[in-house]
Amino acid sequence: MSVLELAQVSRWFGNVVAVNDVTMTIGPGVTGLLGPNGAGKSTLINLMGGFLAPSAGTVTLDGEPVWRNEQVYRRIGLVPEREAMYDGVSGWDFVLANARLHQLPDPEAAARRALDVVEMTAAADRGVATYSKGMKQRVKMATALVHDPPVLLLDEPFNGMDPRQRLQLVELLRTMGEAGRTVLFSSHILEEVEVLASSIQVVVAGRHAASGSFHAIRQLMTERPHQYTVRSGDDRALAAAVMAQGSVSSVELAVPEGAATGARDGTTALRVQATDRSGFVRALPRLASDHGIRLYEVTPADESLESVFAYLVER
Amino acid sequence: MNATVARLTARSLLAGRRAVLLTALPVVLLVLAVVARALGADDDLAVTLLGGFALATLVPLLGLIAGTGSIGPEIDDGSIVYLLSKPLSRDTIVVTKLLVAVAVVTVFGALPTLVAGVVLTGELGALALGYALAAAVAGAAYCALFVLLAVLTRNAVVIGLVYALVWETVVGQFVPGAQALSVQQWSLALAGPVLGDTGRELGVTAAVGGSVGVALLLAVALAATFVAGRRLRTIRLTSDL
Amino acid sequence: MRVSAPSERLAVPAPSGQRDAIHDIGYRHYDGPRLGRRAVQRALLLDSARGAYGLGRAGRTKIVPVLLLAAMCLPAVIVSIVASVIGAAQLPLNYTAYSTTLATLVVVFVATQAPASVSRDLRFRVVSLYFSRPMQRVDYVQAKFAGLALAVLAFLAAPQLLLLAGALLAEMPLREQLPDLARALAGAVVLSLVLAGVGLVLAAATPRRGLGVAAIITVLVVLSGVQAAVLGISLERGADTAAGWSGLLQPFTLVDGAATLLGAEATLPPGPPGTAGALVFAAVALALVAACYVLLVLRYRKVSVS
Repeated sequence: MSVLELAQVSRWFGNVVAVNDVTMTIGPGVTGLLGPNGAGKSTLINLMGGFLAPSAGTVTLDGEPVWRNEQVYRRIGLVPEREAMYDGVSGWDFVLANARLHQLPDPEAAARRALDVVEMTAAADRGVATYSKGMKQRVKMATALVHDPPVLLLDEPFNGMDPRQRLQLVELLRTMGEAGRTVLFSSHILEEVEVLASSIQVVVAGRHAASGSFHAIRQLMTERPHQYTVRSGDDRALAAAVMAQGSVSSVELAVPEGAATGARDGTTALRVQATDRSGFVRALPRLASDHGIRLYEVTPADESLESVFAYLVER
Repeated sequence: MNATVARLTARSLLAGRRAVLLTALPVVLLVLAVVARALGADDDLAVTLLGGFALATLVPLLGLIAGTGSIGPEIDDGSIVYLLSKPLSRDTIVVTKLLVAVAVVTVFGALPTLVAGVVLTGELGALALGYALAAAVAGAAYCALFVLLAVLTRNAVVIGLVYALVWETVVGQFVPGAQALSVQQWSLALAGPVLGDTGRELGVTAAVGGSVGVALLLAVALAATFVAGRRLRTIRLTSDL
Repeated sequence: MRVSAPSERLAVPAPSGQRDAIHDIGYRHYDGPRLGRRAVQRALLLDSARGAYGLGRAGRTKIVPVLLLAAMCLPAVIVSIVASVIGAAQLPLNYTAYSTTLATLVVVFVATQAPASVSRDLRFRVVSLYFSRPMQRVDYVQAKFAGLALAVLAFLAAPQLLLLAGALLAEMPLREQLPDLARALAGAVVLSLVLAGVGLVLAAATPRRGLGVAAIITVLVVLSGVQAAVLGISLERGADTAAGWSGLLQPFTLVDGAATLLGAEATLPPGPPGTAGALVFAAVALALVAACYVLLVLRYRKVSVS
């Protein structure tokens, strides 16, 4: 059982702050590191893996600093995002070399076991260059598992995998987590995290936006009021009809400056705040057709992952 | 020194097209030596070939190919992460890679220089031994410099090339002071005692004194290795290409 | 005013009776004329030539070529100034001799820029994107070849034109300078084709840029080393004819020898043996260019597009 701890960690590159005052604890089980592209997930994984110095704060594994501490790799298995391995070696050679680099007492046995865990024994004698994307990912996993580390860090492991390979990897990671290993993987896709991670850490624009169990956070996301921007043939009439709905808490008529307040030509727009998202979505087309109002545009104002997280940060 | 790192490095250096380049260079030298010998070579020609070609061209190029090739491609494609994420000191990684590169340059550079020297002069004499020694130490120093360059920058080959060719040959020709900052001259100075009177008679002189050359060679090689190890400890692995 | 069809982002239940449809959400397609193969090729040619100097690329790709060009031109400026100050009647070294004197810089330029031109396309499999356009593989080879040759020609010609400017400032008669310059430029055209060809053939053999650079340098430097050695041996043995033929062994002496057909002295002595020799040199130079082109076409025929 190992625990990774980040205490008030920041990392900046010149003027760009990639990670901003993050404090988190990653314990046993599978943890998903979730965030949009460019949120700082890779920077965080690099910080946890000891490949980047924190500009401020500390990263520790069971109380030991990770940065400039090569001995820490006895307890960390790292699966990098990039695919490059050594050219011209077979899967077996590659995993064996990794076992030897760890100075294990019986490298052959360790390599055999690791390849067995990822079910690559049959293809182990083939050159790594001939492997498919999923096979490469599994060999990378084998190199990370060869020394049986309590901590496993995976950077975007699902990128570019087909659904079958995805399923295999999900199974594998889940088993690892259940066996008491500390498994952390990064992803920008909500659904991937949902099926796998028992707990999640959300980063947005370098900040730690949310943490905890996936379902609790998901609940917080769906129960919050939703914003829609609606344009129609008759915004005022639609506003009255929509407001009569129980699913809506507020409607605002946005009139561009200089336009006549009575304009009915689509230059105005409605900002609708719905408390019950699905109720509103079902009601709106019916209302419009009942009142003979033409809908030009219905846009969720804040559906992007980023705004969901921004909302969480503000609370 | 780590045997596994050494094996991986040697394998990637000696596999594929890089090996073709590494083999082609000494082969050209040996063919030239044999042809020159068949046509009746004298010591002047031996000096031209051993000094002008083997030491001035072959060894820096081999040092460049082996030095940068031992670590540069791995940093470039990110596979160095498999070495870095191990309980191995980064100095060990750098030193091991350097030793492999030095071994390659010795086998493909210094040894062929010795053989070419024997072929050209017909004896295992001052010229053959002296130039082989110079080639060996110059090769080692070039490797240390170019390993450092490869750790520092992605453009290691280009910069190394500009140093080895433009600085050491062209600038050295026109600006005498530049020769004092030349691995080639330092190694010639070191080999001076071996070349002895034969060398002096043939006008083989180094731009720096013997002890200065040895000191500078040692200083540069050690400093480069040390800095490369330090730099590898804090190297930033970018996930972008 | 923006009036668009109802957005797809909200799942609006379709009224009964309405058929399934793909809604027009404002994507526009292009109906205008398309320029076709030649235009793609021209664009790639120009981009390759400009790319050799880092034009239109990131700032740090400009450093090496610009420094090399500056180093190539600096002596020309100095020579010009000196010539006009002392009022020389003739340039201390002629236009052709200038590029052969600074051959190392030319070699480094070719070695660094040829791989920059092709190896990344291979490494990141960008070539498949090119070949999915109306462009053919042969067109790509032609464009890259011509683009690099153009860049090398500019590299060779720039200092020559500077020298001309210097000569005119020193009040040397244009009438005397022009024939010399014309010969030098003609030689530069052939030399740039030869160097671009050799450079690209080697660079296209590997997707690794560093290895490509090393390979080109190795081949060009070793060839000139071999040529120098053969020349040395021949002269020592008194074999003047063999010494003359040794020029065939490396690009600079080869083109220099071929240029003697235009009536100039060889700047890299001894030059080819007689007019017949010069003709052979010219033929070898052209054959080399053709061979490089054929090799490149064969190489790119094998590049997989998957």
